[in-house]
Amino acid sequence: MMTRFNHLPTLKINTGDKIPFTYKGKTFYGVKGDTIATALYANGVRIYARSLKYHRPRGLYSMNGECSNTMMEVNGIPNVRTETTYLKPGMVIKEQNVKGSAENDLLGFIDKMDWAMPAGFYYDTMHKPAKIWPVAMKQIRKAAGIGKLSPDHHMPGKYDEIFPTCDVCVIGGGHAGMKAALAAAQKGLRVILMEARPWLGGDFEYRTSEYLDSQTHHERAVQLAKEVEKTENIRVFTHTANVGTYNNNLVTGFQIGKESDSFTERYIELRANSVVVATGCIERPLLFENNERPGVMQAGCALRLANTYGMLPGKTAVFSIGHDLGLETAATLHDLGLSIPVIADIREDGQDPKLLKAVLDRKITILKGWVATEAHGSKQVKKVTIKSVDATVSKTFDCDVLVASAGFTPLTGPLVINQAKLTYDNHTNFFLPTDLPKKMYAAGRLLGFENAESIEASGHLAGLKAAYDCENCSIAELGDAKKAMETLPGPARGTKLITAPVKGRKTFICFDEDVSIKNIKQSINKGFDVPELIKRFSGAGLGPGQGGIPGHNLPLFTAKYQALPDIRIKPTTVRPPLVPTLIATYAGTNHTMFKRTPMDEMQRKDGGIFRNIGVWQRARYFSKDFTCKKEIENVRNNVGMLDGSTLGKFRIHGPDALNALQRVYVSDLSKIKEGRVKYTAMCNDDGCVIDDGVVVKLGENDYYFSTSTGRAGQTIEWIRYHTRYENWDFALVNLTDAMGVINLSGPNARKVLEKVVDIDVSNEGFGFSEYKEFTIADTIPVKAMRLGFVGELSYELHVPASYMKSLWLMLNEAGKEFNIQNFGVEAQNVLRMEKCHVILGQESEQRTNLLDIGMGFLWSRKKTGYKTVGVAALIQAEKDNNRLKLVGFKMENNGRAPKDGALIVDDRVLGHVCTARNSFSLNEAVGMALVQGDMSKIGTRLAFYEDECNGELIYGTVVETPFYDPEGKRMKM
Amino acid sequence: MFSKSKPMWGKKNKLKSSYDVVLIGGGLHSLATAYYLAKEHGITDVAIIEKNYIGYGGAGRNTAIVRANQRTQYNVPLYKEALDLWPVLTRELDYNLMFNNCGNLNLMHSEAAMNAARMNVATAQFHGVESHLIDAKQAKELVPALNISDDITFPIHGAMYHPPGGVVRHDAVVWGLAKGAAKMGVEIHQHTEATGIQTKNGKVTAVVTDKGVINTKQVLLSAGGYSAALIHGFLGIKLPISVLTIQAMVTQPLKPLLDHVVSSGAYHCYANQTLKGEIATGAHMDPWPNYTTLTTAHYIKHQAEALSEFLPALRGVRFMRIWGGLADMTPDMAPIMDGNEQVEGFFMDCGWGYFGFKSCSAVGRHMADFMATNTCPDILKPFALKRYKEHKLMGETAALMSYSPDN
Repeated sequence: MMTRFNHLPTLKINTGDKIPFTYKGKTFYGVKGDTIATALYANGVRIYARSLKYHRPRGLYSMNGECSNTMMEVNGIPNVRTETTYLKPGMVIKEQNVKGSAENDLLGFIDKMDWAMPAGFYYDTMHKPAKIWPVAMKQIRKAAGIGKLSPDHHMPGKYDEIFPTCDVCVIGGGHAGMKAALAAAQKGLRVILMEARPWLGGDFEYRTSEYLDSQTHHERAVQLAKEVEKTENIRVFTHTANVGTYNNNLVTGFQIGKESDSFTERYIELRANSVVVATGCIERPLLFENNERPGVMQAGCALRLANTYGMLPGKTAVFSIGHDLGLETAATLHDLGLSIPVIADIREDGQDPKLLKAVLDRKITILKGWVATEAHGSKQVKKVTIKSVDATVSKTFDCDVLVASAGFTPLTGPLVINQAKLTYDNHTNFFLPTDLPKKMYAAGRLLGFENAESIEASGHLAGLKAAYDCENCSIAELGDAKKAMETLPGPARGTKLITAPVKGRKTFICFDEDVSIKNIKQSINKGFDVPELIKRFSGAGLGPGQGGIPGHNLPLFTAKYQALPDIRIKPTTVRPPLVPTLIATYAGTNHTMFKRTPMDEMQRKDGGIFRNIGVWQRARYFSKDFTCKKEIENVRNNVGMLDGSTLGKFRIHGPDALNALQRVYVSDLSKIKEGRVKYTAMCNDDGCVIDDGVVVKLGENDYYFSTSTGRAGQTIEWIRYHTRYENWDFALVNLTDAMGVINLSGPNARKVLEKVVDIDVSNEGFGFSEYKEFTIADTIPVKAMRLGFVGELSYELHVPASYMKSLWLMLNEAGKEFNIQNFGVEAQNVLRMEKCHVILGQESEQRTNLLDIGMGFLWSRKKTGYKTVGVAALIQAEKDNNRLKLVGFKMENNGRAPKDGALIVDDRVLGHVCTARNSFSLNEAVGMALVQGDMSKIGTRLAFYEDECNGELIYGTVVETPFYDPEGKRMKM
Repeated sequence: MFSKSKPMWGKKNKLKSSYDVVLIGGGLHSLATAYYLAKEHGITDVAIIEKNYIGYGGAGRNTAIVRANQRTQYNVPLYKEALDLWPVLTRELDYNLMFNNCGNLNLMHSEAAMNAARMNVATAQFHGVESHLIDAKQAKELVPALNISDDITFPIHGAMYHPPGGVVRHDAVVWGLAKGAAKMGVEIHQHTEATGIQTKNGKVTAVVTDKGVINTKQVLLSAGGYSAALIHGFLGIKLPISVLTIQAMVTQPLKPLLDHVVSSGAYHCYANQTLKGEIATGAHMDPWPNYTTLTTAHYIKHQAEALSEFLPALRGVRFMRIWGGLADMTPDMAPIMDGNEQVEGFFMDCGWGYFGFKSCSAVGRHMADFMATNTCPDILKPFALKRYKEHKLMGETAALMSYSPDN
């Protein structure tokens, strides 16, 4: 392990605190504060991975995570970006996508096969003859993909989520971001500041060059950070990457937990009134041959290795740069002991005179108008060739590091994913954000500023603009801040060079997908002439780095190669998440919840087997016998209780309540009598049945009605929607959760009920289809209806949810002598099917109308003037015989019931089975089916085609319905 | 082995003042129609008019899943034909469409759902399409990453397994069809916007574009999510189409983990692994109609929550990008294909929702037949617009659609 500096003010490591980890099966040590990548670097690792396609060796390049170069498997989790992930004791680190090791990859030979793999080569190969494709495909799948994940992988850790709000959200905790946060906070606003690194300070934080009055940039960063941290109304989220920005300033990010935090990672979704984006810049990759050979790294990476992590990148470094940061890096690293034979600066002029002097004072050779054209060395950089930009003169230098950077690229992601436009700017050579979304501002280095004071001033101005949006800042103050900016240096001039003078066979514009300049040329020649198409065809920017490396180089090169007179071409679309984010982190905690009825606990104790039904969980069975024989027989012969609390229950009252009901229900509800129950249905505009239920009249302009379980959630919206132009006066209350329902059914139901109520429940006192309100034990108010869904004597008792258990227990106690039993949803399903009572969605489908399902009797043709939803369609459909109709059928020769969903066929499909069962009550197989109109005649023979029947049909006959108790005596007894 | 570096879909031609046929929209249905017009009917004086670049819309935004296990007898044969055409087109176009017939598993989370799926399975088998109902254990054997325990929100009861389905490389289909059509003389005019259709005496006479007027007697409008608005704007024909944003996303690439397309209606989520190794996932639509392709914070989080439950291994994978596209939804989830009905010479092919990709090859072929012969092929007849006026929906879904209040 190399010795680490421990005296620099900028260091973030503690060299005294060693941290063990396992790499390729052996134990190594890093130090506290190391990222995984820096710990490996300190242990001499230079090749972290192999590239996707060509298996080229890859090393530390930017340290910002915009490429897959240092992605490794950590603790079984694939594709961890080791350069931005901090080392923890005991981490197990493995290489990915290599045969052998990253150092010696047996697949490295593929790099020489690039001639056989031009852009989009797979579209032109492997399909002739057709036989080879399946074989080739398997190989492609094996070769593609980077990390490995076990199908049993269990993700350890705690994943949390928070949804804070604030007045101003600042994305980026560099100088501009901090100044913006302070400016808004000083106006009394609540500010949230998000910073991707674990500390504030941004790209000045690790720079020891002079800021002002012999204060260094680093010292200034520390000073600002302290100021931010002590400002109470700034909430700072460090180690928090912004991943999305959306309409109306919804901002998402994820935070990585510290040791002291209760979470591993947490998802943050916040709503801000205004947003300042101060995300700064990354460096623009310099394009030359082998520009991603391990040992080639950007200036910021080399500088941070030394200043933040306490080690030199190597012994001897050639610099090929196009920005002042390059000169500063050279001077700083020279002082720490790095030998620098030459700096090739793309720029002929325009360098910061102070930095130029610093370099010359240190006797470092600087060649202006020169650029690296090739890195030599098969696995790591050993030599570098530099040439004059016009390629007339060349020199070669031995070295183990090449610091290479073409300049800067602004990080405009948070702006453009929220619909800012990008426009090419000739001065900075940036695509700058224009037409910013409302209440969103850009500040700092991403606008092209390099001068620290300008960066701070632009942050301050943006913070005030955001405050102005919150009405906490005056125009005059804004004007002053703008004026202050004008006295400071403007954006720096950007270098124009896109590629070094090379042919580009091994000049990689996209590292992740191994796309070279040559591949881009091939794509353009094939007609893929805009970056978005080139991306799709060549893969550039489609990899884990999501275009971070191709960035602005791709559109700039595309324009240049086509010799376009002006650069109207845009970079490819940036998409969330701006930083790849774990599915575990996005998921946070699970939000899907089910509603439980008041009887839930008791029914589970009674052995109920529950199923999700819509938004509810309901007891479907009460034994493992899924035919429900016992439950069914007990209802038919004795008495059972069903928890019907999931039914939709509503009260509608007010002068226009009846009008509203008449609009949505097909029956004429003006005829409804107090004390009676009216069964009716709702249709949609196509006449298709969407709901059925009962309506009772509670009093003048006051109704209570029920809907099916599945429809309850949409009912209010439905009624509001269909009455929206009427200005009607009615109130609609959803009582679904407030009321529970007990369905007491069976020939002994009356005997049970008698025991708990004071009123007359004889057939004369409380007849079929009647409605009564009464109180049980002077306490429990009951709305009771006599219905017959299951075809037996039946009471539906609606009681406040809080009394459900009490009443249930009372009935249960009263029913003991009759052996009262639970019955579940499936038993009810069979019971009602025997009676041919329909369940919508089971006996109907999307296209089934009221008439098709045999419920035309509900439709009051005389009811006019209410514009009842669906009636126009019903009138039209009435003449149409060519529709599917609901029929009942029995099986031939005492055969078994067909499966639900079986088809009815001749040489084509004529219908399908809705519900069919071997009926215990009838001792034969019966069912209901939707069949073509001409087959609905009684006596029609139906041929059933079931799945896996191999063409062996079974047969049944259309019969009269209902099957059970056709006169309906039992439910009326 | 490699075609030379020349533009794949022909040189950039100058727009002529007349063509036999004009196709509006540079998506898959247009390209396929053009291809078959040229190939099977010898009609090559054809111009495709595309406002952006070919494959800009749904063609390049879908997640490339193909299958033929639809619900009704009107749909299954059409999708079966489309499914059978992928290998044929690969050969004809001499372009690898990368058909991966890995099979689809549609997860079922209740007995009721299993019963509902049984009808799809029976319909498929009746039409000679392989499809089976399997139980949860069998599903787990096929997809080892599946969580079949009971302690998730929607426990898995089984699945509808459709072996011949899978994934086709969508971009390859766009470029392959463009290449094939251009080779036979079809002209593809990108960055050309259609702004109107001229008619005279109830007949199409011309298409107006921002690059000039094109005289033609036949025009097909098949512009994906933009079709309904264009058809209304150009000809005043109102279609019962709601346009909704649908989003999809991919994770970072992994070595083979999922060998099938896995989807779940209850979780509103599907997932499959692309040949590149990314897990592609998506499913439900945003609940409000709009014409943007913007993504939402809610959606990606929902997908993560869903995947966390039924494919929990994926919790260790990172989402890499999310994008949006438009789904043009009809009330019965079935498309509108019609011609010579509202205006002579005007054909439309739209309302595909999220089924446009799977169907494109077969539909292009039949639409070409329709346009060439001016006779609607039987297989397309049930998809005519008039079905809505007659209140006769197609029944492609069992449940009612509730993507808008006026369903």
